[in-house]
Amino acid sequence: MKIINRIILHNFKRFDSFDTPLNQRLNIFIGDNESGKSSILEAIDIVLSGSRSKVETIGISNLLNKKAILDFFDAGKHYEKLPKIIIEVYLDDSGNADLNGDNNLLGINSDGLSLICEPDIQFSKDIKAVLEQEGKNFPYEFYSISFKTFADRSYSGFNKYFNHILLDNSQISNEYATRSYVKKLFHGNADVANRSVLENKYRSLKQHFQRDILCELNKGLPYQFALQSNSKSNLETDITITEDDIEIENRGKGRQCFIKTDFALNKSKFELDTILLEEPENHLSHNYTLQLIDRIKEAGDKQVIIASHSNMIAARLGLRECIMLNSSGTSSIRLNDINESSSRFFMKAPDNNVLQFVMSPRVVLVEGDAEFILMELFFKRLTNYEPHQRNVHIISAGGKTFKRYLDLARFLDIKVAVITDNDGSYDKYIDHNYSDYASDKWLISADKNDELYTFEVSLYHENKAICDALFGPGRTKLTVLEYMLQNKAECAFRLLEEKANELAIPSYIQEAIAWISD
Amino acid sequence: MDKRLILAVAGSGKTTHILNQLDEENRHLIVTYTRENIRNLKSGIERKFNFFPGNIKLYSFFEFLYSFCYKPYRARFDKPNGICWDNPDPRRRIPEKNRAHYFTGDGRIFSNRLSKYMFRIGLEEAIISRVEKYFDIFHIDEVQDFGGYDFDFLMHFSALNIRLNWVGDFFQHTYDTSRDANKNKSLHSSLDGYLNRFSEVGITIDQDSLFKSRRCPKAVTDFITEHLGIAIETHKDTIAYVQFVDDPAQIEDIALDNSIIKLFYRNHNEYNCYSSNWGKLKGADHLQDICVVLNKKSLELYKKGKLRESAPLTKNKLYVACSRANGNLYLVPENLLLKFKKP
Repeated sequence: MKIINRIILHNFKRFDSFDTPLNQRLNIFIGDNESGKSSILEAIDIVLSGSRSKVETIGISNLLNKKAILDFFDAGKHYEKLPKIIIEVYLDDSGNADLNGDNNLLGINSDGLSLICEPDIQFSKDIKAVLEQEGKNFPYEFYSISFKTFADRSYSGFNKYFNHILLDNSQISNEYATRSYVKKLFHGNADVANRSVLENKYRSLKQHFQRDILCELNKGLPYQFALQSNSKSNLETDITITEDDIEIENRGKGRQCFIKTDFALNKSKFELDTILLEEPENHLSHNYTLQLIDRIKEAGDKQVIIASHSNMIAARLGLRECIMLNSSGTSSIRLNDINESSSRFFMKAPDNNVLQFVMSPRVVLVEGDAEFILMELFFKRLTNYEPHQRNVHIISAGGKTFKRYLDLARFLDIKVAVITDNDGSYDKYIDHNYSDYASDKWLISADKNDELYTFEVSLYHENKAICDALFGPGRTKLTVLEYMLQNKAECAFRLLEEKANELAIPSYIQEAIAWISD
Repeated sequence: MDKRLILAVAGSGKTTHILNQLDEENRHLIVTYTRENIRNLKSGIERKFNFFPGNIKLYSFFEFLYSFCYKPYRARFDKPNGICWDNPDPRRRIPEKNRAHYFTGDGRIFSNRLSKYMFRIGLEEAIISRVEKYFDIFHIDEVQDFGGYDFDFLMHFSALNIRLNWVGDFFQHTYDTSRDANKNKSLHSSLDGYLNRFSEVGITIDQDSLFKSRRCPKAVTDFITEHLGIAIETHKDTIAYVQFVDDPAQIEDIALDNSIIKLFYRNHNEYNCYSSNWGKLKGADHLQDICVVLNKKSLELYKKGKLRESAPLTKNKLYVACSRANGNLYLVPENLLLKFKKP
């Protein structure tokens, strides 16, 4: 069993340099669209498969970091400064000397595999000629592709050191992807000798069919019908996977995704070393996603690397296994330092906005639905911007779970404003309660007046006339405030719909919004 | 930890000895020099196990040095482009600190300076731990061929904390893995001095395990002991003879008999018959009767009974030649074969 413990990318796609350690078991790359999650899985897939044709199909021009090319031209097109693409996958000690050596960017002794694309020295004259031309003509065509272990042994798709599978659920209807998936799993469950026997039996079955059954049809014909038996028609091309006698291709997309992932995770005779899952939540319903998460959790000690932007996957599989990618930068943040209890909290908490939280540079946390409904309005009125235009996300933490979020924020460069209630004692519930959470990245904002103990009370206090006019008619038993306290979300919604521009905003909320949008 | 150099005589079964040590449990490293030996060992291993077990790694000497020892540490840094088998021009004196002392212009490393280079950049310790990490037993066949800086490297391996099973025949030393100026030049001038180098570094010298030939009949081993002064005994009890032939009719019979190989001092290609050179067939075990062709100088010495006074390398090659015999050994003067010389 081989385990990847670190990945380094150099000038690969959007990463000019990227370096992250990996966990032994489970790794989830999370991040927004364009943050490079898929590129990382692609890089791992390329280097593990040792497939030149994979690189050639994608094209060096699509793999080489665009900024590296611009920098190269800006720096005056010097031959020796031509950028290289390097992908390095560091492995735990596998006992195989062919993998072990110092030939890596870190210069450390380790097992590992690498891809290097660099100008081919054979063509250095041609490259020089291209560079001497006017304008920005980059000599992609003269790049060599070499797969080497850290011991400097070359490898390829035929003699590779690693057995892995990449499951890309966004490619579910791609026939080629399905074929190569089935083939991979077939190889995983039958060794070469066994496969030869099966192949042979299949061929003789076809011959029987031809001899005993087709012969009727062929009688008296000038030419004979026969079954194909060649590289395009054999056991490996004809084999498929079925569930309840239905071929996998004919199941719904969601079920297909599920079966494929589940089968790959399954223990097979010739164990896959690593499973790469690209957006496994694709096409899956809530329920299926939950089942899939269970399967991933149960998949023994197999190393699984996932790219996802599903809240559910990240939170339920454990935030400590997450590696967060930022779409603006090219750095990654591992959430494995979060304390165990907070990680477990997010695992158990209702499917919430934890990913949105970790991926936003600025967050306003509010207690419940009522605050959430009105906060966007307040923000717009105070700043003249929609929150997302100022990179601010408003998240309803669902009760007093702020500290869990703040535990998370400790490891991230996030500005967080918490808007909360003083519950009747600012001293006790705010000052004292949050004394361990002092930071200039956070602001805990609540009404300083102890009598205004909760959001609705503060709001009513500031907007007595509006509220009385809106909610007063028809009240017999309850006061207006009591009614508001018992129908928080409903009241907030009516205020938003009917009195958006007249509402006075409590000062502690004003402060928080001013601070977060600053 | 058993560290042992077994001194073997020709045909005593060095290859078989190594094969006998192999199993599927320990991780074996086997290094040998000649291509012939690689082939012998490979087929021996496949015969023994019916496949080639993954726990056994068989390397030719330079493949071991270059791919196993050197490249894992320095390939990305030095960007070597293979090995250059020609020696550097001795008239061009390039300081030892320059890359050009070790590499050709196109990036190939000189085979005779690879070991020296690894010493220079201080890879010894790393290589020791690498061998220890991946192997339990280190076999070397044809130890006597290590020369120049390679011998220093070999001595360094005595520090390995794994079992060493090194086998060689001092008198079959007919060439060096590499030579460089005066480095270890007098290494092979005396057996005692040579063995001393090994015992100094804590390697046990074993002269008893493989002192009898399984190949050569008694007549041949007696001839070698008497004429070449190389002690060799035999397990074999088949009857054979050593014959000096100068009858032209018999010489013609021998020359035309393609079951008898004619072994020349050198340039066997100049003759129209089934032939080879003295030292070339080291490791070969398939020859029955053989014919050793004596050149002018050795003929003189033979007649005086002083073959043992031949130049050391010549004597060793002659030893390799004579000890190929599984059967009879014919000695024929080269000048009586002129008839078969190509025009």
